[in-house]
Amino acid sequence: MKENNKKLPFFGIPKLYPFLKPYIPTVISMIILGVLSSLMDSIYPVFNKYALDNFVGKGTLDGLWLFIALYVGVLLLQVVDNFICVYMCGKVEMSMDRDLRDAAFSHLQTLSFAYFNQNNVGYIHARVMSDTGKIGVMVAWRMMDIVWNGSYIICILGMMFYLNAKLALYIAILVPIAAVFVMYFQKKLIVINRKIREINSTITSNFNEGITGAKAVKTLVVEDKIQDDFEVDTTKMKRTSVKAAHYSGFFTSVVTMMSSFALALVLWKGGIITIDGVFEIGVLSVFLTYALNMMEPIQNIIVTISELIAVEVNVERFFKLIETESDVSDSQEVIEKYGDAFNPKKENWEELIGDVEFKDVTFKYPDGDEYVLEHFNLKVPQGTNVAIVGETGAGKSTLVNLVCRFFKPTEGAVLIDGKDAAERSQLWLHSNIGYVLQTPHLFSGSVRDNLKYGKEDATDEEIWAALKLVSAEGVVKRMEKGLDSDVGEDGDMLSTGEKQLLSFARAILADPRILILDEATASIDTVTEKAIQDAISTVIKGRTSFVIAHRLSTIVDADIILVVQDGKIIERGTHKELMDKKGYYHELFTRQFEEMAFSDI
Amino acid sequence: MENIKKKRFETKGQMVSYFLKGSVIFFSLSIVASLLVTFFEFIGPKIVQYTINYCIADTVTENDSVPIYIIRLMDALGGKDHLKTHLYLIALVIVVIAVFTALFRYLYRILNSIASERLVERMRNKLFSHIMHLPFAWHSENHTGDIIQRCTSDVETVRAFISEQLLNLIRIVIRIIIAMYFMIGINGFLSIFSAVFIPIVVLYSCFFHRRISKSFQKADEEEGRLSAMAQENLTGVRVVRAFGREKYERDRFVEKNYHYSNLWIDIMKLLSAFWASNDLISGLQVMVITVLGAVLCVQGTINTGEYIAFVSYNAMLTWPVRALGRIISDMSKAGVSIDRIMYIMNSEIEEDKEGAIDVSMDQDITFDNVSFSYGNGTDEVVRGASFKIEAGKTTGILGGTGSGKSTLMYLMDKLYDLPSENGRILIGDTDITDIKTSCIRKNVGFVLQEPFLFSRTISENIGISEKELDIAKVRDAARIAALDETIQSFNKGYETFVGERGVTLSGGQKQRTAIAQMLVSRPQIMVFDDSLSAVDTQTDAKIRAALSKEIGKSTVVLISHRITTLMHADNIVVLDKGRVREQGTHEELLELGGIYKRIYDIQMQGT
Repeated sequence: MKENNKKLPFFGIPKLYPFLKPYIPTVISMIILGVLSSLMDSIYPVFNKYALDNFVGKGTLDGLWLFIALYVGVLLLQVVDNFICVYMCGKVEMSMDRDLRDAAFSHLQTLSFAYFNQNNVGYIHARVMSDTGKIGVMVAWRMMDIVWNGSYIICILGMMFYLNAKLALYIAILVPIAAVFVMYFQKKLIVINRKIREINSTITSNFNEGITGAKAVKTLVVEDKIQDDFEVDTTKMKRTSVKAAHYSGFFTSVVTMMSSFALALVLWKGGIITIDGVFEIGVLSVFLTYALNMMEPIQNIIVTISELIAVEVNVERFFKLIETESDVSDSQEVIEKYGDAFNPKKENWEELIGDVEFKDVTFKYPDGDEYVLEHFNLKVPQGTNVAIVGETGAGKSTLVNLVCRFFKPTEGAVLIDGKDAAERSQLWLHSNIGYVLQTPHLFSGSVRDNLKYGKEDATDEEIWAALKLVSAEGVVKRMEKGLDSDVGEDGDMLSTGEKQLLSFARAILADPRILILDEATASIDTVTEKAIQDAISTVIKGRTSFVIAHRLSTIVDADIILVVQDGKIIERGTHKELMDKKGYYHELFTRQFEEMAFSDI
Repeated sequence: MENIKKKRFETKGQMVSYFLKGSVIFFSLSIVASLLVTFFEFIGPKIVQYTINYCIADTVTENDSVPIYIIRLMDALGGKDHLKTHLYLIALVIVVIAVFTALFRYLYRILNSIASERLVERMRNKLFSHIMHLPFAWHSENHTGDIIQRCTSDVETVRAFISEQLLNLIRIVIRIIIAMYFMIGINGFLSIFSAVFIPIVVLYSCFFHRRISKSFQKADEEEGRLSAMAQENLTGVRVVRAFGREKYERDRFVEKNYHYSNLWIDIMKLLSAFWASNDLISGLQVMVITVLGAVLCVQGTINTGEYIAFVSYNAMLTWPVRALGRIISDMSKAGVSIDRIMYIMNSEIEEDKEGAIDVSMDQDITFDNVSFSYGNGTDEVVRGASFKIEAGKTTGILGGTGSGKSTLMYLMDKLYDLPSENGRILIGDTDITDIKTSCIRKNVGFVLQEPFLFSRTISENIGISEKELDIAKVRDAARIAALDETIQSFNKGYETFVGERGVTLSGGQKQRTAIAQMLVSRPQIMVFDDSLSAVDTQTDAKIRAALSKEIGKSTVVLISHRITTLMHADNIVVLDKGRVREQGTHEELLELGGIYKRIYDIQMQGT
């Protein structure tokens, strides 16, 4: 995915305003508390000064108890202040984080398949889970870092100017010098750290390649060659990392060295005025402490700013997702009548019969540049069984995507019961479609949860009836807790065939008018395969169905077969017609027949 | 192969010290550098003390604690009276010391980085090379994701343990000792008050981090669940849409999300309480020192300069001590990672039997009553198979899915070890267990059923088994595999990058690349494992014709379920469920009228 490099003003923070809005009172309190805490931090050296001037200097312990009481008072105040402030900060971080995730997730539910086709799952997942987290950290903690460090610098500079403007000026000169220096190195570090991350991911994919390609590596006897190449990368990693350490080592050393310079400056210039009697020793000690503590906050602020810059990308990507508009959205009138995805108005829904018609449909995928359908016409009366065949990756899903309105035709229309699909809501259509996927997708949870996915209020009797219809009751009975058994993440506890059977039952339970079957490619044992074949022929009875077939033997009885190659429909007809034609379908069929021969003996 | 560790590591320490070879010296030097940094840092307050006592306040007491070397240095600069009017000289001394501190700090960082990068490099290289030499059976038993995790994040944990946690522990302890030395030099009584807080802070934060790590774990698990839910929603987006369950999905996610962030908010409450209480403890300590120091000063036990120096030393300890508790509690995590890495390093690598020999591979290969099953409990894939692959001839193996035809070849190529009670495979008269693995694999060219491409250019892929890339040879091989034209049609031709991060080739193109890859080394034995299944019938025929000219004296094994692919072989072995059912030439088998004939009839019927 290429990111556009359009810079957002102020690291994109203004854009985040709507998400920040509910927490503004908290944020303001946090800022006040943070400034207060810095103020108190800058007060401690003053206590020292007081002790030096009044107890040590005057040789008396008068007022020591009041001194202790005040000291403890300030300390307690600061501790409570910090406690509240840090807690609030964490809360704002997590709350914003949560709101951003909710927003991203909800928005994803409304996006069309064009989006999901153009962005892979890992990429989208990172937008929802990791970008949001980074933005939360930035808004809460990075902001507080700036507040804390910034106000601390201002406080101690103020104190110094109050105590002695001339000496304060000497030290204040060091601030911009340090800032420029830190900025210069921070920039270099960002560049080199990016490089390190790149090499790091190369090394990870090297591991991946070496492990997944073990069979190839061994049969080709190239272990040593692969190892040598791997070592080139690890050596590069070492060199770059050490180079980065040169920068960061130099950087931290010089920053702390500047603190010592400030200290030397105070001792020299401050020493002179103290000897002259303008200063008390206490004031000198305050200056010494301030001088030593000033460089670190400067460094912190600059590092924080560079972190803010780094988060800008996350903000950009997040808003790119939020601002993506679905290209298959329902029109305003449709939403008014039928409701949207989250608030359906079921009372206005018409019954769906199941006549489908492609009327002069021209289509190209939003991310493709070739038309895969041109002026395509096909009438599918209620109850027709349409089979779609072709090699893996040939584009067999296109028609199905159009029937389901996962994509909209570039030109022309798909009619459902004689009316353009766009005239009714997506949810209406989807509620009447059953979809059984090639790689059956189950959600983690119980068998019952999964089966009820298409019909929330299904009773156990209905569930068992559906299971029976597709001969899947055995699968559930074998499981320890029956319908309450856990299917595991992505249905891991079940075999592919079992998952397939359950997803049939799920589709049946929803009692759809239109059924889409994407047949499994994975090899399953013959008994299960037989069960699935039977299930298919049971469920398509009386329904309009589209079967994406991989095993051609299963579709010889289809009412119409569409043959797809390179995304285009190149042949259509019944099995017999196509076999007689001796075209591409014939070749596909023969090839599969050879493999099938073995299961027949 | 001297760089492969064959011995088992008995203890974690043994393995860690093995990895530390070559970096231990840099780690030691970095500790020395950090010791010098600490020393120079601690000189600073002493000079301030001198300046205040001797030059500014003139409060030198009888047993003043300025070290003798500082007094000598100051005398060399002209003595206290001279310095009083030339304070900049003292400032210069501080600057010089600061430069030295910076220098050693820089050295420390560099040495530490060199050491830890050397360590990581060695760990990665050793792990990778060990993995490369582990038997294939190990690879099929272990999950890729898990191994990668061990090689990346566990390696990182171990690196952090040694170069950060362990080293910081040492540094902080050194710092405490040096600080204590200087502080006791000023006043023993005051030092006790400074010191008692150290164990309190350390124990408190140890205790706290142990306690909170459970909450962290819980939050991590919850995050995992939330993340899995999002993942499921995305991978199952078709199901969600097709069943119209957007609202259900959103509500489910929002609820879980709420729960998860609340867990974190609870953790934040704990964390902020911890930080605040820690602030309180350190703050109280600083106060106690400030007050007691003032009292001692008033009593005349210590002087002003000493007082200021002591307060500085005390402040220099606050943060390291607070970090100590965290470091100690974090260190326990590394043990698990070391164990996980040790699992890989202690897995036994492929090794030839002692006295294994090289043999000439232009001999007959005999399978003698071979049986095999993958892993315990699973059904046997090969059951008592006996047949002969004649040298210089073409042998076809016909069988359906799961008939064990590929397994036989894997056994021959020693990808899996054949237990001695399960029959023998002989090359000539020598059992393959007595032959060097490298000898067999180098002479057997294996075109795998599912070809694997490395993320390199296409020419590098084809010529991968050659030491020097010879483009003429590569092109020649590509031509035989009917791939040359296809490659030419790519933008960058043979320099096109393929694999994970490059151009995606189709199944047929991959298979043809694999064939070319094998042809480059012209091995004595060529095995084609269903290698043309994704290639269309015309190209298939074209490749076979080109191959037959090239094969020469090589022994060829063709594995297929397609009779047309192997009907011209000199000998055809028919496998069914791991058993050899028939063998002979095409004509003989047809004559026989058994399985082969039936399959032939069915397959021909289609055409």
